[in-house]
Amino acid sequence: MSELLLRLESLAHTLPQRPETAIVLTLAAYFAGLRLFSWLRSPAWCPPILLAACLLAGLLALLPLGYTEYRRGVGWLTWLLGPATVALGVPLYQQVHHIRTLWKPIVLTLPPAAMLAAGYAVGIAWLLDATPTVLASLAPKSVTAPIAMGIVEELQGSVPLLMGALLITGVMATLSITLLARWGNIHDPRVIGFALGVNGHAIGTVRAFDIGPTAGAFASLGMSLTGVFTALWLPLMWHFVG
Amino acid sequence: MLSILRGFLILTAFLMLGDITVELFALPISSGVAGMLLLTFWLLLRRRLSHDLGAASQPLIGMLALLIMPGVVGIFFQADEFSGQWLTIFIALILGTLLSSLTTLWLMQRLVATPRERPHE
Repeated sequence: MSELLLRLESLAHTLPQRPETAIVLTLAAYFAGLRLFSWLRSPAWCPPILLAACLLAGLLALLPLGYTEYRRGVGWLTWLLGPATVALGVPLYQQVHHIRTLWKPIVLTLPPAAMLAAGYAVGIAWLLDATPTVLASLAPKSVTAPIAMGIVEELQGSVPLLMGALLITGVMATLSITLLARWGNIHDPRVIGFALGVNGHAIGTVRAFDIGPTAGAFASLGMSLTGVFTALWLPLMWHFVG
Repeated sequence: MLSILRGFLILTAFLMLGDITVELFALPISSGVAGMLLLTFWLLLRRRLSHDLGAASQPLIGMLALLIMPGVVGIFFQADEFSGQWLTIFIALILGTLLSSLTTLWLMQRLVATPRERPHE
């Protein structure tokens, strides 16, 4: 009996170190988050990923498992982010024909729009005396998460802060574009969709698909192009300025 | 199932190619992004999307939210690091996003609405 207790005690030490513990917790929190999201009737300001992350943070705080230990254990799962980023090339290829029909406005709008999506926020934060880490974490705020994570590692910002910034940016872009389009009497789904994708990454793209398939297609195109373009110019620019 | 695995092999091979490219040319981009660009070019050259690649990329893209969750959770454990800067961060994000949304809408609307160059289409 006492031997069983001893084994139980050693289990309590080894179990948190194992990858399966981290992966079970992540998957369980993910599905619980999805369940909670539909139970709350899918609120637009609170994506399911935020609910799932809160649940996971609660679990980690309760259990004898540190965040560093967890990150090490869950590495097997997060490695998949690499092939998943490569997979984004497939929808990009599928949407390229939209560029052919409207190449001039797209080619002229994309570079300034993508640069300003980063530039405004970084400029404002810099004027307000933000630290270099904060500036680096805010810079890729309009880029879709997997690409943005790659960029922020290049710029040596903080991945968690970037994630928070992505969330606020996505929600804010969706709100402001919906309102501004109504004010400015803009009804072209191609314009609204493209603006949603460039500024609001995946969150904006989801909203664009609510408007219609044309808006959705232009949003995915805007999101992919912003991601690629920002991944190329931002690290280069950062090297020169910083 | 085998089709997904074959597609996964292609994706991972492109990730490796991305690794090699980034390393060789000392590029300041992540190997995932490099792999994505190489894959897009390859698809544009071939002008055909294989069934395998579609079968593997679709579920992976659907899983993206799950895959970034471990990174999102970190904010709860590293919040102290940014104490005293939260107001700055919020102002920069909210005002910056509002301004950039306005700029994109304005630019795109003007360029799309300019007089058609080909009146007979």
